[in-house]
Amino acid sequence: MSFDLDRVLKGRVWKFGDSIETDAINPYYQYPTMDEMKQHTLETYRPEFAREVKAGDILVAGRNFGCGSSRPGLVLREVGIAAIVVESAARLFLRNSIARAMPIFLAPGITGIVNEGETLEVDYAAGEVRNPATGARVNLRKFPPLIERILKSGGLPEFARERYLAEAKAELAGNRQ
Amino acid sequence: MAQTMAEKLLSRHNLAGAPACAGDIIEARIDGAMCHYHAAEPMHDLALQAGFKDGLPRVWDPDRVFVLLDHHQPTLSQAQADKNALMRREVERLGIQCFHDAEPGISHQMMADYGLMRPGELVVGNDSHTISYGALNAGGAGITRADMMFVLLFGELWFQVPQSVKVILDGRQPNYPIAKDIILYLAGKYGDDFAGSMSIEYAGSLVPELSIDSRMCLSAHGVEVGAKFALFPFDERTREFLKQRTDKPYTPIAADADALYEKEIRLNVDEMPFVVARPHQFGNVCPVDDVAGTRIDQAQIGSCANGRYEDIEIAARMLKGRKVAKGVRFLISPASQQVYLQCLKAGLIEPLVEAGAQVITPGCGICQPKVGFLSDGEVCITATTRNFKGRKGSQKADIYLGGPLTVTAAAVAGQIANPREVFDEL
Repeated sequence: MSFDLDRVLKGRVWKFGDSIETDAINPYYQYPTMDEMKQHTLETYRPEFAREVKAGDILVAGRNFGCGSSRPGLVLREVGIAAIVVESAARLFLRNSIARAMPIFLAPGITGIVNEGETLEVDYAAGEVRNPATGARVNLRKFPPLIERILKSGGLPEFARERYLAEAKAELAGNRQ
Repeated sequence: MAQTMAEKLLSRHNLAGAPACAGDIIEARIDGAMCHYHAAEPMHDLALQAGFKDGLPRVWDPDRVFVLLDHHQPTLSQAQADKNALMRREVERLGIQCFHDAEPGISHQMMADYGLMRPGELVVGNDSHTISYGALNAGGAGITRADMMFVLLFGELWFQVPQSVKVILDGRQPNYPIAKDIILYLAGKYGDDFAGSMSIEYAGSLVPELSIDSRMCLSAHGVEVGAKFALFPFDERTREFLKQRTDKPYTPIAADADALYEKEIRLNVDEMPFVVARPHQFGNVCPVDDVAGTRIDQAQIGSCANGRYEDIEIAARMLKGRKVAKGVRFLISPASQQVYLQCLKAGLIEPLVEAGAQVITPGCGICQPKVGFLSDGEVCITATTRNFKGRKGSQKADIYLGGPLTVTAAAVAGQIANPREVFDEL
């Protein structure tokens, strides 16, 4: 599943604190299937989250989001989160989000410009995140070209297959000559 | 230009052939790929999702892929047994040579036991604690399952060259392990992401005195403070450890004397108290005295952080002639079969069992709610990797992290206690 980096995302904010761990995002110990996890994601911090989150909502969090294991945050996309905007992300969570083409944005200062339940606009093309109600804005960090290409391919597995096929085709053409 | 260890490592592996500087995005050549019990995802599920209808079409080098069906052996569920069966078929189909199938243990410890990674190599694994290979001067880095699929196909992966933080450890090694106290103390003082996306380089007068076991504890916990690599310098201890395990050549990495560091942190361990992390985060650290008297139901030693010989040896040494407090469940899980064997041969298992501890099969179960669940209101002190809420079952249980000596003291006292007050020989 790819996402369009140029489209402005706008949604209602769920706000979380610092060092939210992958175990809380994926409570797979108790709930091993995706269907179960969807009903319990992040209940460690917000018991009502899974019940009340709506498609298009935006998750805002503090520093070190997704610390802990190498598990991805796919469940957040499954419950409808359209974008994750954080002060900073744990490196494996960030790698996962890139590799699975999940819309994640690093925007230092974000927790200072938006409150729970407010609307947030994420404008990657303009390189900023805005709170339209207050006019406050902070810059988001643009991804390097390679990462943008992975995101546009729909993720790293898809990107890998594109390259594999291109190389196989080139090899075939080489053999014919 | 002067380079850090991480810059040296990634320059050596940069496909573009250019020196790698902190901040650069590079594509790197991979020396080894460690796949554990999630291997079916990169080999099968994600390959199908990407459109390879028969699964992954190849691995780039069958001799550089290591598959270890670790974590949960014997299998604890039908689902896991079925997944393992799928992996056995995939390993055979792809022609992967190194396959540890019927052996319980933690993949990272087995990678060290069998000499599957070496100094100066860039070795990735689909587990966050792959970073522990830095103890042996190897560039171990956890990657994701989708990253692993790319690695298995091409033997390459993108990296951002990290900034580095130099952690200078001075002081003396006492006659018990203190690695856990060191990393907890640092996380408490500087925050649980003080090395966020950075490379830790350990230095200082304590380092030559640190055992490989202690170094592996410190490197494994690199991920708990956010790091990409957690590297130790190569020295005589590393050479000695590897001599018995691999005959393949290797070239260690060392930092240049005037390399640039994002920050430097100093700790004199002689001045460090025994510490614990309180529930429910790694950085929620205090001196053990602050929570002394907290009644416990369970105590644990194990995992890729603390399931090694020296962790079990200190427990056995302290338990000799003592008993685990009535009602306390003291679980000890060696990190691998080789560690277990080493402990057996050294006579460590008998005093543990005599004192009332339970020795459980090597593996990751002790660090998760797979073996030894907690119930509502129960308290556990553990020398394992993480204390997140629910990590041992109930969301209403409290988990403290401590070193193996502190855990053993609590197991004997039935409550969290300063080891010096429980063991007068210290």
